[in-house]
Amino acid sequence: MLARAIEETGLPTVTVALIREHAQRVKPPRTLWVPFPFGFALGNPDDPPFQQKVLSAALGLLSENDTPVLAEFTEDADAPPVLLQASAAQADAANRDGDPADEVTALRGYYERWVDEHEGRTMVGLSGVPQRQFRGLVRHLQAFAAGEDATYDRAPEGVEPVRFLRLASDDLKAFFMEARFSQRPDDHDDELQRWFWSETAMGSLIASVASRLAEQGNEQAAWGLAR
Amino acid sequence: MPRLEDLPDLTRQGMLNFPAFDHDDAPCAVMSKPLTEAKIALVTTAGLHLRDDTPFSGGDQTYRVIPSSTPASGIIQSHMSIGFDRTGIMRDVNVTFPIDRLREMAERGEIGSVTENYYSFMGAQRSPRRIEEETGPEVGRLLLEEGADAAFLTPT
Repeated sequence: MLARAIEETGLPTVTVALIREHAQRVKPPRTLWVPFPFGFALGNPDDPPFQQKVLSAALGLLSENDTPVLAEFTEDADAPPVLLQASAAQADAANRDGDPADEVTALRGYYERWVDEHEGRTMVGLSGVPQRQFRGLVRHLQAFAAGEDATYDRAPEGVEPVRFLRLASDDLKAFFMEARFSQRPDDHDDELQRWFWSETAMGSLIASVASRLAEQGNEQAAWGLAR
Repeated sequence: MPRLEDLPDLTRQGMLNFPAFDHDDAPCAVMSKPLTEAKIALVTTAGLHLRDDTPFSGGDQTYRVIPSSTPASGIIQSHMSIGFDRTGIMRDVNVTFPIDRLREMAERGEIGSVTENYYSFMGAQRSPRRIEEETGPEVGRLLLEEGADAAFLTPT
């Protein structure tokens, strides 16, 4: 759809598509269908040769002008087809009784190491709250989940409370995942989701925040947090 | 996406039912030079943007500019859906937005160069009329003004 709009201005495009059936209907001018899940358009993270193979296959289509062109990249990548969600992971929950704020403290060193070793790369930062203040953010989420009339003093101006809960929860998830990358470098995909949702008190807290949001009628925000 | 026939029913139906807009044919603009001389642009719908830019919200049909010289550490994602696994992008943004790969291709002479700016939209749009009619064409025109010869588009 976007590709068509750009192509119509006179600029040739080539698109990576994840859902072949949609590409067949929408008909972007040139499409490389890849058999990877959402979030993995070029296959595997930290695998430049694999990414390059996909990228070269796509750019190679730019010389084809009998549009629509739909080519297929058939080599599989590593990510599993379906993401493990909270409800499935928590069905066999083990020990989630800790304090998420203490988990934040325990994971901070790992998180900071991840960021240091990756030239500052991090997906933490949407809420505007520095990670050093995440213990306070946890207290805010706990108060909200407990049904208190919670406000967070340092929320950025103009951000609605429900939106802030969303951004804050996402920052905490990213903090936990990136800490886990350096704590357990060999864990991927389902292992990470299972750990977060079934073994951490933070996973449990975010599921509780989602439940309270749903009770308040914010089903959409709840669905975006944990399902 | 994995072949839909390999997915559980519910997931497969969710994919098939997501609005897609049918067309009978496709527009075609022809690239005027070989890839090795072409200036390539990167455009994504993965909800990425500069760290200090305004996060996208669901259904947001505006775009964000990401200069192609931005280090991977300067990019953050506000497409927070848990419909997909974000850990790949957390590990390496190139898995969706190959900013380093394109730079390397230009250094090796496999493409001519990259545009000064890349562009990013929010994904999972159910009714993207404004992108189709206004912001999408605007990005096309901006890229042509920058001298782009082709654009590479990536999804979430």
